Amino acid sequence: MFSKSKPMWGKKTKLKSSYDVVLIGGGLHSLATAYYLAKEHGITDVAIIEKNYIGYGGAGRNTAIVRANQRTQYNVPLYKEALDLWPVLTKELDYNLMFNNCGNLNLMHSEAAMNAARMTIATAQFHGVESHLIDAKEAKELVPALNISEDITFPIHGAMFHPPGGVVRHDAVVWGLAKGAAKMGVEIHQQTEATGINTKNGKVTAVVTDKGVINTKQVLISAGGYSAALIHGFLGIKLPISVLTIQAMVTQPLKPILDHVVSSGAYHCYANQTLKGEIATGAHMDPWPNYTTLNTAHYIKHQAEALSEFLPALRGVRFMRIWGGLADMTPDMAPIMDGNEQVEGFFMDCGWGYFGFKSCSAVGRHMASFMATNTCPDILKPFALKRYQEHKLMGETAALMSYTPDN
Amino acid sequence: MALTITCPICGKRNGYEFRYGGEEKGPRPDEKDLTPESWCDYVHMNKCVAGVQQEWWFHRDGCGSWFTIFRDTTTNLEKETPEAKE
Repeated sequence: MFSKSKPMWGKKTKLKSSYDVVLIGGGLHSLATAYYLAKEHGITDVAIIEKNYIGYGGAGRNTAIVRANQRTQYNVPLYKEALDLWPVLTKELDYNLMFNNCGNLNLMHSEAAMNAARMTIATAQFHGVESHLIDAKEAKELVPALNISEDITFPIHGAMFHPPGGVVRHDAVVWGLAKGAAKMGVEIHQQTEATGINTKNGKVTAVVTDKGVINTKQVLISAGGYSAALIHGFLGIKLPISVLTIQAMVTQPLKPILDHVVSSGAYHCYANQTLKGEIATGAHMDPWPNYTTLNTAHYIKHQAEALSEFLPALRGVRFMRIWGGLADMTPDMAPIMDGNEQVEGFFMDCGWGYFGFKSCSAVGRHMASFMATNTCPDILKPFALKRYQEHKLMGETAALMSYTPDN
Repeated sequence: MALTITCPICGKRNGYEFRYGGEEKGPRPDEKDLTPESWCDYVHMNKCVAGVQQEWWFHRDGCGSWFTIFRDTTTNLEKETPEAKE
């Protein structure tokens, strides 16, 4: 991967001493920002600085689900745009992103949850996103493997059905965007660790790395779960973030049984069948902040119990692989995107929790516009850091998240 | 993941008996001279240290004590002091 041979996205370049823009983190948000900086704004003197390799973090660890059925009027348009961009990017990048819009089914396990779903669906429909409320019988018709009997821990009352959502091959997005960005002149520097940001008179002047100092006037930190530690470490800016480990796993490959992404809040579990036939499933988070990506037996048991209740056909199926990644959770489950506010030339794109993958295409596009014009696009304005001071937390979650210390 | 926490009353116990209570942020700011910034800083803001941090824990399935420990967030191991490296 780091050998002398040519990387898959183009030539290996030498790190220069200055760039117009430096992006810290080689994940999807940086790659997409770089791609759109070059494509839509003609800014090609851009370096992506990645400590490991591109797609090492959340970009390669998420379970590839995309959807636009969030709760608030600020979030939905962003995710809708991201969803609409997958087929466009597939063409533009000339790279098969394997977008499979199989639809998402969010199971509801009480009448209160059905009412909450009605509200979410109204928001979605208002923003032109297809989303319907269906009853348990209709859910069973869509997903015959579903257990709609009443003798399970959380009987299914119905579901929120969101047909345009689905699954995108996450590695393909990493490779496609890297290739697309590099073709226009963006440089990707793997195995290069950012260790500081230099400022003078409240302006960014340089990024310090273990391979040398890079002079630049603009820097973006979009390093997924590592963003908050970097931002505090480099600039002393504290963020309302808790970094938690989130685990996921896949079963042995099975014949086609599940044609949708099925998720359940009450069971804390989602599942979909990959093109290889494995059931990819996850959702649970470990309840204390840490930077490890360790797995727990506790969680495998939880997942097996949940799946064997609402998808009983999976009883006895073996798990094949399990892995962990980091999710940077905010108290209102909405991200933080800001720039030129704390330090001139400093931009941040973090706090995505487990929504970073779904949003990367649209956010990269808007962050690129933000950085190129130094004007915050309207769609990003509600996500500024000062909303916490102003007590304008977003209602993306009905209550503070139970797995952060805030609750 | 393996985690043990030393409760001042019950001693070293399985981490799943406890509930995480957030980073140690010093005393609650005085009502007098309170600004939206200082309140927000106390309520929401974290340092998210990748390394040793002082943090609060609650012995939920035990004696009910609230106490702080030092823990390395990159290894999940408890430390004696904030400077502990290995």
